[in-house]
Amino acid sequence: MRIPKQETRLSNQSSPADKFLSPRARRKLKSYSVSYLFVLPALLLYLTFVLRPTVQVFVLSLYEWNGISAVREWVGLANFRKLLSDRIFWQAFQHNLVWMVVIIFFNVLVGLIAAALLSTRIKGRIIFRLGYFLPVVQASIVTAMIWRWIYNPDGLLNAGLRAIGLGGLARGWLGDFTFALPALAVAAGWAGFGLSVVIFLAGMQGVDQTLYEAARIDGANSRQTFIHITIPSLRNVITIVVLLEMIGAFQTFDLIWATTQGGPVRATEMLATYMFKRGIQANEYGYGSAIAVVLCGIILLFSIVYVTLRERGRD
Amino acid sequence: MANKKLVRQDRQITVERAQRIGNQMLVYAVLIALLAFSLGPLVLAWFTAFKTGEEILFNPFGPPIPPHLDNLREAWTVGRFSLYFKNSVIISIADVMAVLVISSLAGYALGRLRFPGERVVLFIFLIGLTIPVTAILIPLYLTMRDFRLLDTYGSVIVAHVALASPIFIFIMRAFFKELPSELDDAARIDGASEFGVFWHVMLPLAKPGLLTVALMEFLWSWNDLLLPLVFLTSDNLRTLPVGMLFYQGRFSINYGLMSAGVIILSMPVIILFLIFQRNFVQGLTGGSLKG
Repeated sequence: MRIPKQETRLSNQSSPADKFLSPRARRKLKSYSVSYLFVLPALLLYLTFVLRPTVQVFVLSLYEWNGISAVREWVGLANFRKLLSDRIFWQAFQHNLVWMVVIIFFNVLVGLIAAALLSTRIKGRIIFRLGYFLPVVQASIVTAMIWRWIYNPDGLLNAGLRAIGLGGLARGWLGDFTFALPALAVAAGWAGFGLSVVIFLAGMQGVDQTLYEAARIDGANSRQTFIHITIPSLRNVITIVVLLEMIGAFQTFDLIWATTQGGPVRATEMLATYMFKRGIQANEYGYGSAIAVVLCGIILLFSIVYVTLRERGRD
Repeated sequence: MANKKLVRQDRQITVERAQRIGNQMLVYAVLIALLAFSLGPLVLAWFTAFKTGEEILFNPFGPPIPPHLDNLREAWTVGRFSLYFKNSVIISIADVMAVLVISSLAGYALGRLRFPGERVVLFIFLIGLTIPVTAILIPLYLTMRDFRLLDTYGSVIVAHVALASPIFIFIMRAFFKELPSELDDAARIDGASEFGVFWHVMLPLAKPGLLTVALMEFLWSWNDLLLPLVFLTSDNLRTLPVGMLFYQGRFSINYGLMSAGVIILSMPVIILFLIFQRNFVQGLTGGSLKG
């Protein structure tokens, strides 16, 4: 509806120009205007609700503002200076790093082994692939609920431990200072494992099969071919998955928020949950934005490496 | 002599065979253990949804025989899951429609039409691929407040669509780029308008791409917790994940009801996943590998 109307208006406007423009130039102008109309809805939405907020978060981080009062107080880099001496901020940062390590171990190392085993000639490959992938499409709240139920004092993990005579190890896993963070990271690993397996499997299909045959003739066993052929051939894919997991680790919010909300005390506080608490819940828009800027910077760094590698891999 | 050698060879073959079978069994053992890890928690949650409180307590691991529907019924009515379900459906469907329109239009223009500033537009969208929603949450919230969209479906829909548009534009652009150029040229020579070429010639050919985009957006918007949690405050507007988050607070001990919620939330996605497995895997891995 809107598009023909715009077109007629444009052609009316261009009528004085008719004298100066050749028919070809006019046609070109018209086709340009169509292109712009096609891009416009996406561009408007994106500029208003993604790019402008991105600029704003940097601006806000230089102010102290409660979001309601008309006056925003310019504080320069004071929020960032405050961050440097904020113990909770550094704790959260460390937690994100621990999280990242657990997930990379789990999804990259175990995922790689699972993919290698799946790529051998075994029966029921479809079932395994399907089974591993099913958690990937679950909502984070579903992951949170299921694992909260597993880790609860009267939950499944403790029931299982008691059943095999290890009841002494039973505890409220998410209420435990030491275990809460790794326990939740395992839940996150559960949710992402299948995706990395499938990505690795796709990568393995691209590996030159003659390499394996040559190695087999030379008497290499499957562990040797895995280390000397599969892993080097998948170098790019592995780097990409590692970077994706790093990006994901620093964005972690849902799973924490739906289980411990950063507790017990601060044992599972993450940059994103801390940002949420200060910025959204406590209305400290300036300070919250400063945390968000740091978060954005870290993720941007990983993302730039990721996009560059991916573009290079495509050539 | 010869006989002895043969026997030795024979024995070696059996040893090798036994080893191979042993290896094979080890492979299956590892794969099955991982499968139990992946599926076990889900299956147990599905079982639990059909159990009574007593069964959950005394038989947490076994299947529900006979299955009880009380948990599901209670979650649907008392737990207001019917309402949350409706809200989730409205937001997800609106998201999918809007994303399809916006990303196919922009993807088409960026993939097949030439115009000044094309590279700039492309670069601007490329930036969007790297911006995480958590990092812009605060200004996005303020933007919604300024537009007076807070506590409306619109806030979540607009934010979902805007945040998802870069990746989907790149997917659709890649799709349109691959299509042979004779087709639209022929249509143009026949006198079709630019929009006509797009609508009648190119869009039908891009159906597989549209399907992938629709499925991905549905998955993300259906499962999203953060934005509806921040933007929607009244209980009447809550989506399933947000409803469940609050529900969990109120009934944290009632595993039966929680599991019923899990079923209600994840069934639509699982059904779609089983039908369109290939598209889901392609969309989720393609987004990371090929873009």
